[in-house]
Amino acid sequence: MKRVLGENWALPTLDAANRGFFTAGVLTLQQCRHCKHIQHPPEDVCESCQSFELGTYESAGSGRIESVAVVTQAVHPLLADRVPYAIVLVSVADAPGVLVAGNVVGKEPDAVRIGDRVRVVFEEAKDPRSGADLKIPQWEVVGE
Amino acid sequence: MHGSASIAGIGESTYYKRGESPQTEFQLACIAILRAVEDAGLALADIDGFVSYTDQRNIPVRLARALGLKDLRWTGTPWAGGGNSMAAAVQTADAAVSAGYARHVVVFRALAQGQFGRYGQAAGSGGGGAYMAGPFAWNGTYGILTPAHQCALHTARFMHDHRISQEALCDLALACYANAQRNPRALRYGQPLTREAYHASRWIVKPFHLYDCCPENDGAAAAVVTTTERARDLRHRPATIIAAASGIGPPFGTFDGHSLGSAHYRQVGMNLWQQAGCGPQDVDVAQFYENFTGPVLMALCEMGFASPEGIEEFVADGRLIGPEAELPFNTSGGNIGEAYIHGFEMINESVRQIRGDSTCQVANVERALVVAGPGYSPGSAVLFGAPE
Repeated sequence: MKRVLGENWALPTLDAANRGFFTAGVLTLQQCRHCKHIQHPPEDVCESCQSFELGTYESAGSGRIESVAVVTQAVHPLLADRVPYAIVLVSVADAPGVLVAGNVVGKEPDAVRIGDRVRVVFEEAKDPRSGADLKIPQWEVVGE
Repeated sequence: MHGSASIAGIGESTYYKRGESPQTEFQLACIAILRAVEDAGLALADIDGFVSYTDQRNIPVRLARALGLKDLRWTGTPWAGGGNSMAAAVQTADAAVSAGYARHVVVFRALAQGQFGRYGQAAGSGGGGAYMAGPFAWNGTYGILTPAHQCALHTARFMHDHRISQEALCDLALACYANAQRNPRALRYGQPLTREAYHASRWIVKPFHLYDCCPENDGAAAAVVTTTERARDLRHRPATIIAAASGIGPPFGTFDGHSLGSAHYRQVGMNLWQQAGCGPQDVDVAQFYENFTGPVLMALCEMGFASPEGIEEFVADGRLIGPEAELPFNTSGGNIGEAYIHGFEMINESVRQIRGDSTCQVANVERALVVAGPGYSPGSAVLFGAPE
């Protein structure tokens, strides 16, 4: 899938904490190996049991829009022809308490509503700096 | 604590639109500090401490050298990312003078966004905008770039949950503009706002119109904190620090996706009222930091002034406007109407209310509240009182 904010929009700098999230092609979250707590964004410590033994959890990738705002004034020149675009926070069905940020595909920005059901989809991009193939999670509305 | 420290002097530079200050940011800081010290009836040699907050470039050693201090015994800055620390800075100075670590501490904020770039602009985009690194990757990759975007997401959820209309946001903007019309220092002085103009203004990020967003300005403001005992012997009626609170309780959220629809002020409110031995009903005049209008609705609720179900009515029909309002609110115009000095103009306005020389003076002020930036945590608040 092409990028919602355009092929030239900023890419994430990959690091140990975000590599799975932005490259796996599955909604990949951080999970404590000890108590199975899932948290996002990743942290160096489990926020539930304080373990340092942190791994990943592959989510089925369905969720619900918990909030939506529509950006109408571009704050970066690369976004000038991309406004209006919707920004959302999504709760993940199989990871209670987690909120993931994103954009929306399949619905006009002004039509996106809190409570819309969504599933994860992936933008594909080549990172020219590292050569990595990025698969950036985004959200497609599948129901209201 | 509990009245042992007071603000004895206040000062500020002229406030400018962003980029229009003829002085450097450091010069603006010096102007505000010199005026605050003079207002207190003190000499620079009496000042022995500095407290500020948030990206403060005008560091204490440079100030002490430039201003010719005799002794620098206390420096401090609360640990937080923005205007949420504004009242905590006053609290830090209170702690220093009450404990005897210093005698006269200047608390200040200076910012010249023309000189140093815009505070809220596209954080993490690094100029070129090619990559989003570290914590910016999670939001910036999706074009969530500014505090306006973050606050809009949280405001939208709060409005949805409690069936709050756009008019509630408009009413806050109208109150700030209306009160600024009384204040010649205010950058919006002489520029009244109507409900029609609010709704006709462009969207920045829905649900925020242009007038829901505070401007970016150049200027500085400062206050001298000392013990109440010493302050009684100085030039002005002291504005006593009755209570101050900063922090956050679980959930330890901030506007980064950890929680939604809260300004994170419940714990600050409970802590403040417990210390003060009074409650919101005892407040004569309140200043609420408005980075954007929406989060103030949440902060008003969490500080105990209204329920989320009642907040729209609480702010409607001019109930916040003027000195005889049901809750006199942002009486100098606040960040939106007076100037965005990262909220510190609200500290000085509260001192004026206690002294009785505000341009929107409330009668017989005994309790003046300042609530710092909502949403970004830890938040802070300070309650000033008239001397016993």
